[in-house]
Amino acid sequence: MSEILDAEVRERVFIVDDDASICDGLCNLLDAVGIDAESYTSAEAFCEGWRDGSAGCLLLDARLPGISGVEFQEQMQASGIHIPVIFMTAHGDMPMVRRVMKAGAVEFLIKPFQKEELLRAIEQAFAYDRARRKEDSIRNSIRARIDSLTDREREVMVMVTAGMLNKQIAANLNLSEITVKLHRRHVMDRMQASSLAELVKMCERFKAPARIHR
Amino acid sequence: MEYGIKPAAIAGCFVLVASLCTFPLQRVIAYPFVFLFYAAIVGSAWYGGAIAGIVAVALSSIVIAYFFVPPLFSISVAKESQSFFAAFVVCAIAISIVSSARKRAENVFRNARDQLEAKVQERTAELQRSNQEIKESERQLRMLTEAIPQQIWRADASGRIEYCNQHLRDYIGKSADSLQSEIFFSILHSEDAPLFRQGWEAALMVGGKFEAEARVQGADGLYRWFLIRSIPQRSDDGQIARWYGIHIDIEERHRAQQKLILAQDELTRLSRTLSIAETAASIAHELNQPMTAVVTHAYACREWLRGDPANLEKASATAEKIVQESTRASAVVKRVRALFRNEARVRESTDMNRLIQELSGLLRDEAIRRGVSIRLALARELPRLEMDTVQIQQVLLNLAMNSMDAMMQNLGPREITIRSEKLKESEILVTVADKGSGIAPDIVDRIFEPFFSTKTRGMGMGLAICRSIIESHDGRLWAVNSPDGGAIFQFTVRVSHE
Repeated sequence: MSEILDAEVRERVFIVDDDASICDGLCNLLDAVGIDAESYTSAEAFCEGWRDGSAGCLLLDARLPGISGVEFQEQMQASGIHIPVIFMTAHGDMPMVRRVMKAGAVEFLIKPFQKEELLRAIEQAFAYDRARRKEDSIRNSIRARIDSLTDREREVMVMVTAGMLNKQIAANLNLSEITVKLHRRHVMDRMQASSLAELVKMCERFKAPARIHR
Repeated sequence: MEYGIKPAAIAGCFVLVASLCTFPLQRVIAYPFVFLFYAAIVGSAWYGGAIAGIVAVALSSIVIAYFFVPPLFSISVAKESQSFFAAFVVCAIAISIVSSARKRAENVFRNARDQLEAKVQERTAELQRSNQEIKESERQLRMLTEAIPQQIWRADASGRIEYCNQHLRDYIGKSADSLQSEIFFSILHSEDAPLFRQGWEAALMVGGKFEAEARVQGADGLYRWFLIRSIPQRSDDGQIARWYGIHIDIEERHRAQQKLILAQDELTRLSRTLSIAETAASIAHELNQPMTAVVTHAYACREWLRGDPANLEKASATAEKIVQESTRASAVVKRVRALFRNEARVRESTDMNRLIQELSGLLRDEAIRRGVSIRLALARELPRLEMDTVQIQQVLLNLAMNSMDAMMQNLGPREITIRSEKLKESEILVTVADKGSGIAPDIVDRIFEPFFSTKTRGMGMGLAICRSIIESHDGRLWAVNSPDGGAIFQFTVRVSHE
């Protein structure tokens, strides 16, 4: 699964800073160390350029004219852009750091920052993003498998994973035990689960709220 | 008195009954007729009046003479019975007169009583009607006091609440009954109560109008500011009979006032600190940007050179960038130094757009902090003009800061637009427009005068200096109010033809 992930999307750093020379410098540095980068001088330009399915992280100036970095971060989350954010600012004031870290920023860099600091932050952000995408893709494939089940099979699956015995399920759904066994085998096949434990895990995973593993 | 058939008929009936009774009784008692006929006469006179009485007397006399006085069955009266008959007639006439007179007297009495009764009824009805009217008008008055969207109360002379309208009861969340006994002060904020009590007691003594602002606790436990106004009502002897009061909710007004005071404090604080700390922060930020770019490029340059083989082309391009950014940083330093040194500077050929951009960079941090956005509308191609860049930047800074100050109280958008336009080959027009409240018409002619200021801490020199700078550049500086609100400051700069 992860092979597909890496082959299809290239990770890149999206830079948003209203100072073009900073964008230029960052692009140059990332180019030199072999990381793809795109730069935008405003939050709107970034949103317009955003394509669903893009991977990587956002390197965001905390103080943009017109919109604060934290506001923008919230706006992104609201409009479904889930990408780890690294903040940059010239003023390392603590309240702002606390606020952006609380809002889920990966790192907070104070300009001018060292190359190692930047690369470490990017690497970390990429790792979060990979974990997120992996989680997404697993959930998507589980969802696809669940979608392939018939309604009756789904009912059986819910009861099986709730720990009910075939006999109980049969009584509950007004079916014969043999039919229940048949459905159960179908469920295991279609869900590609080799054991009941695995099936339970899949269902749990699907039900759990989306989150980035940190 | 009645005439006609009716008295005669009444008399006839009575006499007939008396005769019919007398016939059988005659056999039992000797001469019983006397009593029964007397009774018939009394009855006739009573029910039929004097005429009926006379008729009854006549009829009785005839009947008695005919049937009962010998000789029987003849009108004539025997000699020995004449005295008896005469006595009967006289007595009969007498009781007829007495009975009819009694009847008349009673009639008069009854009439008088009836009239009195009618009058009493009439009076009672009248009283009821007016009572109803009073009740109706009182009901309407009460409805009015209940319906008025204000809180109203009435108190007795000593200030004890007698009545509260629905709005007041709803607001404080207490029933009318529980308020009756409650002293008014208990619903006031404990901080306002002593002052309110003082004023109230003074008003009670003087007997004049009373007005105070105080926080009143609502049903939800929260306090709101109210203007409480009360006037006394005097009785005929001049004593205060009642107090009428109204509560006007001034919470919003109070809040706005508080906000205004806070905003003014903030403004004062800002203008005091901006010159030192904020300028320093602005400069630090302005300097930090090119420094960050330099550092980043330098790291990149090292990476390009570290590669195997080293990417010399990229490294060299990056080095070029480092030079550019370093120059930009040192220009900032130079400019700042020049700003503070205030030395006489030579004029140099300058791009006005660059000056405006540099200024907006310098103001960026302050603008973000104040929630102001600075919009630049720069002409594509401007002629380069000979000017003192430091001085022109001072003018731009001054105008922009004024604009920001003017919009401090804006609730709507806070936006400054700085526009550059080419007027002629050697003349540039610069506009600084804000969305503040504009310049009051009565001071629009005075704002450029030295020592004229609308700010509490202003020296009143800013615009005067600006004007002299612009005039030394062969230009003009003026101000107008924008038709859609806000002030517009414009200046021109020209190349002098010496």
